[in-house]
Amino acid sequence: MEKTHPTDKPIVVLKDVWKTYSMGEVKVHALKNVSLEIRHGDFVAIVGPSGSGKSTMMNLVGCLDTPTKGTVFLESRDITKMSESDLASLRGKTIGFIFQQYNLIQNMSAFENVLLPLELQEFDDYSAEKRAAELLKLVGLGDRMGSRPTQLSGGQQQRVSIARSLAANPEVVLADEPTGALDSVTGREVLETLHRLWKTEGKTIILVTHDMNLARYAQRFIELKDGEVVRVEKNRDVQKVDYRLPEKQQGIG
Amino acid sequence: MKLDKCLKIALNMVMHSPLRSWLTIVGIVIGVASVIAIVSLGNGLQNQVNSQLSSLNANLVTLSPGFERGQGGGFGRFGGGPGGFGGAASTAVATLGKNDVRALQSISEISLINTQISGRTNVSFGGESGNLQVSGVDPKTWSQITSSKVGQGRFLEPSDKGVVVIGYSLASGFFKSPITLGKDISIEGKSFKVIGITSDTGRFDRSITMPIDDAYGVLGSTKTRDDYDNIQVVLKDGTDIDAAVAKITAVLMSSRNVKTQDFTVSSTKDLQQSVSSVTSSLTLFLTAIAAVSLLVGAVGIANSMFTSVLEKTKEIGIMKAVGAKNRDIMTIFLFNAGLIGLVGGLLGVVLGTIASSFISSLLTGSGISLPGIGGRGGGSVTLVSVDILIGVLAISVFVGLLSGVIPAYQASKLKPVDALRYE
Repeated sequence: MEKTHPTDKPIVVLKDVWKTYSMGEVKVHALKNVSLEIRHGDFVAIVGPSGSGKSTMMNLVGCLDTPTKGTVFLESRDITKMSESDLASLRGKTIGFIFQQYNLIQNMSAFENVLLPLELQEFDDYSAEKRAAELLKLVGLGDRMGSRPTQLSGGQQQRVSIARSLAANPEVVLADEPTGALDSVTGREVLETLHRLWKTEGKTIILVTHDMNLARYAQRFIELKDGEVVRVEKNRDVQKVDYRLPEKQQGIG
Repeated sequence: MKLDKCLKIALNMVMHSPLRSWLTIVGIVIGVASVIAIVSLGNGLQNQVNSQLSSLNANLVTLSPGFERGQGGGFGRFGGGPGGFGGAASTAVATLGKNDVRALQSISEISLINTQISGRTNVSFGGESGNLQVSGVDPKTWSQITSSKVGQGRFLEPSDKGVVVIGYSLASGFFKSPITLGKDISIEGKSFKVIGITSDTGRFDRSITMPIDDAYGVLGSTKTRDDYDNIQVVLKDGTDIDAAVAKITAVLMSSRNVKTQDFTVSSTKDLQQSVSSVTSSLTLFLTAIAAVSLLVGAVGIANSMFTSVLEKTKEIGIMKAVGAKNRDIMTIFLFNAGLIGLVGGLLGVVLGTIASSFISSLLTGSGISLPGIGGRGGGSVTLVSVDILIGVLAISVFVGLLSGVIPAYQASKLKPVDALRYE
């Protein structure tokens, strides 16, 4: 079941990327000439203090934004040259997002939130509903499918958002400070879930965080400071994760 | 994204901001209901006018002095004069007289000729008096030409003198005590015996009709003997009315020896056309006013949709992040607006139908009787037809969609990164 990590095929490539924001007369360079490559099966942590350009980086890596200068490739396709609808479709298929604030849709139940990416990808109703239910069971929320986000705890909401990120079976899971709003125990559970997805499912995991303790789970660090990559390094001491997990949480993906 | 899924999300959005949705819907309901009420009122009016006009003799042609371009004025000249207004309102100096009648008698297409005068004068009965319209007609032909029906007694006969036929409304409601057959009423100090009362058709009828020779006596101060306010002729069945009108015009032009026409010839057909064009433009005008409220409702939808886009900005960002295309977002918001239009339209249709029957019962029940509208036994004043309901409903959905276009476009163009950052 275990897959070889990483393969040689790049999935997200940033080449000489600049991102500049204009604030009136002043131009702020959030990213300055950044290049990086994320390969299939990578577990990368993008780290850096606040204001270092992490969020900007995450938006570009996640293809939610386009660079001011330079190019971003997703699955070898230049996103700056893609039509909006092609990009939306490719993004939906390839990348699953986990946000710090969960970003669940408040008026939809947990089940409907997980179903949404499947509906957007036009899965047939039967397999979409089956998969959404399976994923929620997998994250331990099989009995809370009809609950709205406001009726769930932070940890539960983040689990719904993990289930949603996996719904369309994306190649990449992009987690932006996924534990930021959680207590340390719940936070560790989330990290271990990500680790397991990488290890056993062969997902590419991109973790954006300011917390070096969380980054220890990753296989590689990319450290940002003042909009520049200051360090790219292999993690020599990957956090050991205990895989003796409850039966119901086995085999995500 | 499939359309049914977009619809589901749109429905979810409508259901989760109930107050705003309902307020927006109310705007549309008012617009749709007022359009339906007005249109049904207009249609009812047109229907009544048409049914009254169709009771007129289609072969009737009326001549009046003075040339009026278009149609020859007052209703009263048709249908034998009851309830008329207009009469000798023409400013022309020209008159119609015995010579014209003689010329008309030579036209083979004409079967009947009635000469007529009318005017307002003082009428008293049982110690009360009032100013009423009196018509003098040719007793030999009038009863065959008039559209009124005998209710009690009889109509005028050739040898009649000093008698009148009066309208139902005058007989039953004008004076304190009802005027019954055989009673005498006093007109300009002269006594006339009531020999006939018209039947109650639901129309407002306060006419007084008497032989023309008597009428010269009571209207003498304003009328010259042997001058007529108008001449009615009935064409033989199967006559080409337009050709006959042309022939009458030509014959009279030559007998009167005039180069420019100084009299008007109008047929019932012309009248029907012009009245129905008047009522339809009236309906159109009123509908346009009612449509303004529908427009205001549309602005309400647009306003509500803009608010909704602002409120949902973050959700739009989320949906885009998980794979929604611009087109999906656009469709969801259009459906949202369309749903408001649809619900507003449906409720508006119900409310409009109720309002229209309410207006109908108000007009008929309170005894408001305008000529041509309502009156006792006049049936429904309003007419709600299925095509109007469907049409207005379709317009309402269309208006909803249309007012949603700009907000929906705005929502669809949001960049995912900006939308996600929105708090």
